Amino acid sequence: MKRRDIMKLTAVAAVLATTTALLPAGEVMAQEKKWRIGFSQATTIEPWRAQFNKDIIAEAAKHPEVELIITDGEDKTEKQVADVENLIRQEVDALLVSPKESAGLTGVVQQAIDAKIPVFVLDRNVDTDQYTQFVGGDNKLIGRAAGEYAVELLGGKGKAQGNIVEIWGGMGTQPAHDRHDGFHEFTDKEPGIKHLLDQQSGDWKQDQAYNIMATALRNNEKIDLVYGHNDPMAYGAYLAAKDAGREKEMKFIGIDALPNEGVTWVNNGELTATFLYATPGAEGLRQAVKFLNGEKVEKTVTLDTMKVTKENAAEILKEKGL
Amino acid sequence: MTLLKALSRTKLYWGLIAIFLIGVLSSPMTSSGRNIFLSSGNLLDVLRQVSTTGLVATGMTAVILTGGIDLSVGSLMAICSVVCAMLLTVPGETPAVFLGLPAVGLASLLIGAVAVRFAFLNIEKSRAGENSIRDVHLDRTRGTVLPALAGVGLCVLVLSFLLPQVQTKFGVLGVLLVAPAVGLLFGAINGAIIVVGRLQPFIVTLAMMVTALGIARLTAGQNNAVLPVYTGSNATADFDMLRQLVFGIVPMPGIFFIAAILIYGAVLRFTPFGRYVYAIGGNEEAARLSGINAGRVKIATYAISGLLAGIAAVLYVAQYRQGKPDAGAGLELDAIAAVVIGGTSLMGGRGSLAGTFCGVLIFGLLSNILQLHNINSNLQLVLKGVIIIGTVLVQERNAYDILAHLRLPHTSRRAAERETSAEKRPSRETLSLTMGGKEE
Repeated sequence: MKRRDIMKLTAVAAVLATTTALLPAGEVMAQEKKWRIGFSQATTIEPWRAQFNKDIIAEAAKHPEVELIITDGEDKTEKQVADVENLIRQEVDALLVSPKESAGLTGVVQQAIDAKIPVFVLDRNVDTDQYTQFVGGDNKLIGRAAGEYAVELLGGKGKAQGNIVEIWGGMGTQPAHDRHDGFHEFTDKEPGIKHLLDQQSGDWKQDQAYNIMATALRNNEKIDLVYGHNDPMAYGAYLAAKDAGREKEMKFIGIDALPNEGVTWVNNGELTATFLYATPGAEGLRQAVKFLNGEKVEKTVTLDTMKVTKENAAEILKEKGL
Repeated sequence: MTLLKALSRTKLYWGLIAIFLIGVLSSPMTSSGRNIFLSSGNLLDVLRQVSTTGLVATGMTAVILTGGIDLSVGSLMAICSVVCAMLLTVPGETPAVFLGLPAVGLASLLIGAVAVRFAFLNIEKSRAGENSIRDVHLDRTRGTVLPALAGVGLCVLVLSFLLPQVQTKFGVLGVLLVAPAVGLLFGAINGAIIVVGRLQPFIVTLAMMVTALGIARLTAGQNNAVLPVYTGSNATADFDMLRQLVFGIVPMPGIFFIAAILIYGAVLRFTPFGRYVYAIGGNEEAARLSGINAGRVKIATYAISGLLAGIAAVLYVAQYRQGKPDAGAGLELDAIAAVVIGGTSLMGGRGSLAGTFCGVLIFGLLSNILQLHNINSNLQLVLKGVIIIGTVLVQERNAYDILAHLRLPHTSRRAAERETSAEKRPSRETLSLTMGGKEE
């Protein structure tokens, strides 16, 4: 044992002591809590996901008997799978999962089911049906609502005339395909409606949508309506039109209706309308608590959408305390 | 045994033991009073979770030892995962075959060429009688093992031309050889550009990182699709085996990781190739002058790095039942971090795979502990960074070095004594003196 090694030992011991002191000791587990519920979120960077977390935390505050553990998958399948494994090891009473994608999370969800933990899948499904419940919005339904309203804005059923710019979300994602298909169920029936772009993806991001729209404005004399697969992209398109001095000529429709984004923009008169894609946070937790208390729950809960326009935007903002 | 020796040499075990003890001491208990961190299931979870990063870090270690760096591993893994998933779901899928066939062909030709060359070289050498007994022994193994490998490669080449038939006749294993071959090929291209073009590895592999990501997306199709692989699509029992537990205990990916560490570790320690790697990292010019073909050794390290990324991709597809262009995003940084935590110098020439093994485990255990405590995930990132710096400090320096650097009078004298008695490089203190620090 050289002196150098002794110094090392001391250093290690010091590091040990401090970290162990800093980390909450294992025994101080909340005993007064009746249920420990784990929630694995795919990522927290996106505003919709942040709202999702806000909703679930707000709901948990209403249930004093529930201890809620939230993990963040940092937008990586590997990380989210590791998170869920971790929650299984902690033997939570119920597991809520909002998968980054279906195939990647299926195996670990199956593992939880095999460990006899009730699993509630939120927002995006997995490739098994042995889970306790699925809670989510229906993107096709929302796309239909948006399509119907777009036809109405352009002159009504059978008479609609106009050029539409559609800005896609991520190309490989089911929500984008659903929002596209639902929308086209209405617009494709109108001979007077022309779609100007062929599958241009803004990857759900405002800046990319801005660039797509800027190009579209240069190439097209007449644009009547812009449909963004989410609000930030519709808003990015609005900004591009505004910078070109043409925002007055067209209508902008988005989806998601987050209070501090879409609803605010509609309230400011920047977007024409947005459609609510409700987060399953609050509902998912309510259902899980219901199940733990021994009640029966449905296999699938579909969340409804809502049209947000200038008429009701201010009211919603008041409700959400903005 | 060698692992333990290497451990004590690289002083790594301090960091690993510290992290492990923190885990044990602070672990939360289950309701039945078991220590969660120590439960075998949890530790094996960690092994499975680090295996992908671990395989890539294994290849990265040798690259960094030569003084290079490989930033393209994440994108290479993406390509390989896409090719692998495609071949498993859609037999004879055009883009994948298009990419896979030449890759397998070229990879096996590469191995064949090297083998044949070595074989002839050895025959000539032993004719000339300029070999010691030990060299002849070494040459014999090289002269047999490599041609054997080349034979296998050529078989795969022939088989791969019958890809759809391969899947039906030989199961999935034939397909699984394609992804590593693709990785090997791209890795070899990296190395060749670096050596032939005499360019910085940083910029070449950075360009490859972007290029490979593009190829992965093109291969996957216009919508950068996630390609799910469902059990029963074409994935037979062979494929499922890659994600299951061996003997019901150890996860298969972990076995691959440990095997890679042991095999590559042995190669780096006991073969001439390994010595060349260290020599090039220590001083490339000197290595060249002493007759080492530095270019060839470097190309080999990059090719092997790509190969391991390809193997990691196969395991990724098996575990997550999908291949996708954003698989392996940010992987290169995790791998480099693990290598550096493992005591390998970014300057090259100093470090070991035993160290990398510990570095990868430190990383994995750390994430596991923070998650077990359910610490806010943003705070987790901060703590990870701080603890990594702390770990490296504990391993690389001791209190004396740091205090001496701060010039506290009562320590600097003793530190100076210690430094003069030590035979090592000049301490930071003497350096700062020669660079015009203030005199004492």
